[in-house]
Amino acid sequence: MSLGDSAEPGPLRIHYTAELNELKLQTEMMGVLVDQNLERMREVLVTGDRAIAARAIAADDEIDAMNVSLTEHCYRVLARENPMAHDLRLVVSVIRVTATFERIGDLSLRVAKVVDDQPLIAGHAGIFEVLQFMADGAIDRYREALRAWATGDVELAGVVASGSGPIDQAADRLTEEMLALSGPDAVKVALRANTIGHSLQRISDHASILGRRIQYLVTGDETYLAAEVR
Amino acid sequence: MGADQSISAPTVDVSAAAPGSAGAGTAAGGPVVFDVRDLDVYYGDFRAVRNVSLQIHQHEITAFIGPSGCGKTTVLRCFNRMNDLVETARVDGQVLYHGVDLYDPRVDAVEVRRRIGMVFQKPNPFPKSIYDNIAFGPRVAGTKENMDDVVERALRGAALWDEVKDRLRSSAMGLSGGQQQRLCIARAIAVEPEVVLMDEPCSALDPIATARIEDLMQEIKTEYTIVIVTHNMQQAARVSDRTAFFTTEVNPESDMRTGLLVEYDRTEKIFSNPSDERTENYVTGRFG
Repeated sequence: MSLGDSAEPGPLRIHYTAELNELKLQTEMMGVLVDQNLERMREVLVTGDRAIAARAIAADDEIDAMNVSLTEHCYRVLARENPMAHDLRLVVSVIRVTATFERIGDLSLRVAKVVDDQPLIAGHAGIFEVLQFMADGAIDRYREALRAWATGDVELAGVVASGSGPIDQAADRLTEEMLALSGPDAVKVALRANTIGHSLQRISDHASILGRRIQYLVTGDETYLAAEVR
Repeated sequence: MGADQSISAPTVDVSAAAPGSAGAGTAAGGPVVFDVRDLDVYYGDFRAVRNVSLQIHQHEITAFIGPSGCGKTTVLRCFNRMNDLVETARVDGQVLYHGVDLYDPRVDAVEVRRRIGMVFQKPNPFPKSIYDNIAFGPRVAGTKENMDDVVERALRGAALWDEVKDRLRSSAMGLSGGQQQRLCIARAIAVEPEVVLMDEPCSALDPIATARIEDLMQEIKTEYTIVIVTHNMQQAARVSDRTAFFTTEVNPESDMRTGLLVEYDRTEKIFSNPSDERTENYVTGRFG
């Protein structure tokens, strides 16, 4: 006795399958747009280039539009197709992931918008060095999360989910640097550095959330949902 | 034979198989009503279903899903020995009802069907009045209770009383399809069974009538244990506590298909994160 053809995935729901694949790919493309803005954020932080900051602000509109469009697409799929099992996890995860991408995009803009005070920050070597480390680390972690989304690599997702330690330690170092500030511009520098540092740490936290979400998507294990909100 | 039944009795009385008399409640669910062990069903030499083992829990709705020909209705019909009515049918393995083997030759099949009622795919009221449809079973069972009370209670239980109370003597054939199906549910529960089996009870109904039946199932599950066969996966996901997924395997030499149980679990697990790839393929609609 052997399992019949009916036990194998057959050529059913071709349009629906293509629609889900498209949804996943569009999410990845939105992730790439966010990645580009993260790169612009780093450039602004390092160079204080106003033109790049302006491009980042303009690009954020496209990110926001994709978030709305993908969310609507998910609602349509939910209403029309009654997705189940992995399909259902994919659709609800796209809603979660695109919202997280959008939030990361906003956080990168917060950093870019400090462009006018970049020379002030760059003038304090200790703070500037920590912020650059945090920016590099946050971007790396985001890129790993995006790669895990694209490949469904649950192991990589796990690494991202639990890898916020170095950024958190850097945030502590930043606090120490800010507390050591003195002179007439100390408060202004501390306020701007705090905005940037907090944004970068949040980007790193959102990378962890993405990692947990991808673990849930791939495995269906609901304990990852609880970990996601911790 | 069930471990707790009297082997000295000339007949095995399923009515003595009181709810909770076997299969204590567990963290995974209430007391076990049916304990199916290695069930095989044959029609002549053809094995229609093989190796089914599962437990049905009290006051839960259990859904059987799967493609056509997978044996879900065949298994359902084993629960009240409806397969006895098929001359060539043969059952191997055990179907324990509160520990009593339903296929013990000393078990009275009529008593089994009183305790375990059935509602069919197509509403099948008798060509009699609404009242007589409900009263038929209790009369046959020799109830001593006031029949008007029995009829009203059954119709209320099936959420049909308000719609028919002023025309109880009218023909049941004049009711809509959905009302007829609720009448059949009322008829099934009029004899106060413990279990109600439903074989695709909404497949002939429109969405509104279907919603009424689904609401009704949720209401009556506090008093009855329900097992439903459905082709509507969303219905299984909506109404059931547990879901069993059956599929078919094909003998390449004879091209005969045999049904088998693939996965049985909590409904939310089956529809959100099934353990078996075949279940995933089916519930996502990619079964080819």
